[in-house]
Amino acid sequence: MGSNHFEFRASLSDLGEGLDVLHQSVERLRRAVGRDADDLSIIHFETALGEIGSNVLTHGRPRGTTRPVEYSLLLDGDEIVASLTDSGPMVHEHLGREMPSLEHEDGRGLAIARSLLDELGYERVGDLNRWRLVKRL
Amino acid sequence: MALEVETRPADNGVTVLAPTGRLDVVGVPALKEAIGEAVKNSPPKVVIDMEGVSFVDSTGLGSVIAALKQIRNSQGELRLAAPNQQVRVVLELTTLDRVFPYYATVEEALTGL
Repeated sequence: MGSNHFEFRASLSDLGEGLDVLHQSVERLRRAVGRDADDLSIIHFETALGEIGSNVLTHGRPRGTTRPVEYSLLLDGDEIVASLTDSGPMVHEHLGREMPSLEHEDGRGLAIARSLLDELGYERVGDLNRWRLVKRL
Repeated sequence: MALEVETRPADNGVTVLAPTGRLDVVGVPALKEAIGEAVKNSPPKVVIDMEGVSFVDSTGLGSVIAALKQIRNSQGELRLAAPNQQVRVVLELTTLDRVFPYYATVEEALTGL
């Protein structure tokens, strides 16, 4: 029986290292809750986090900014909640995008994340983007 | 974690590509480079051994779709072998498993190719 409380926080300033940290944090969570590598809830969450994290780390640090992406991962009871805050441009036109047809090479990221999470939240607060990803175990 | 790609020749002119690591926005260039070499054979017959791929994202999927187009344009064939649970979840969610019928092992993927 694993723990039902977990908390991880990091500031991310690099795409490759940032993605490493996101995946490592999910691995720590997986161990903390005693789930194996094929646990579907955690696979769904990690897949969605990889999509949103990749977008945020690519577009959320505009040229000239030194502000890192702030990341937190919390488990409270049976609910995993990840938060990513970045200082990139406002995101609007892609949020409702449907899954592209089979021949398209890109444009699936947000549709994949939406499908696999219980909640995917986005809000613009001042000059920051705030993403909230929720998955129930 | 950088993606590393091992290239292994197999029978009948088939090339087996065995990436290790995450096939994501950081790892895609290494796979693209290996595919670029493999399609120099005519017609290109390629098996991607996914056993060492721990995670795939939509950018990684896009690179496999691009490889499939490139190989089919040369009258070749591309097969995927041994995807883990996360890769299967993403292939099925995006319905790309209809385009990439995957095989449990490399040996099965090589059969009849």
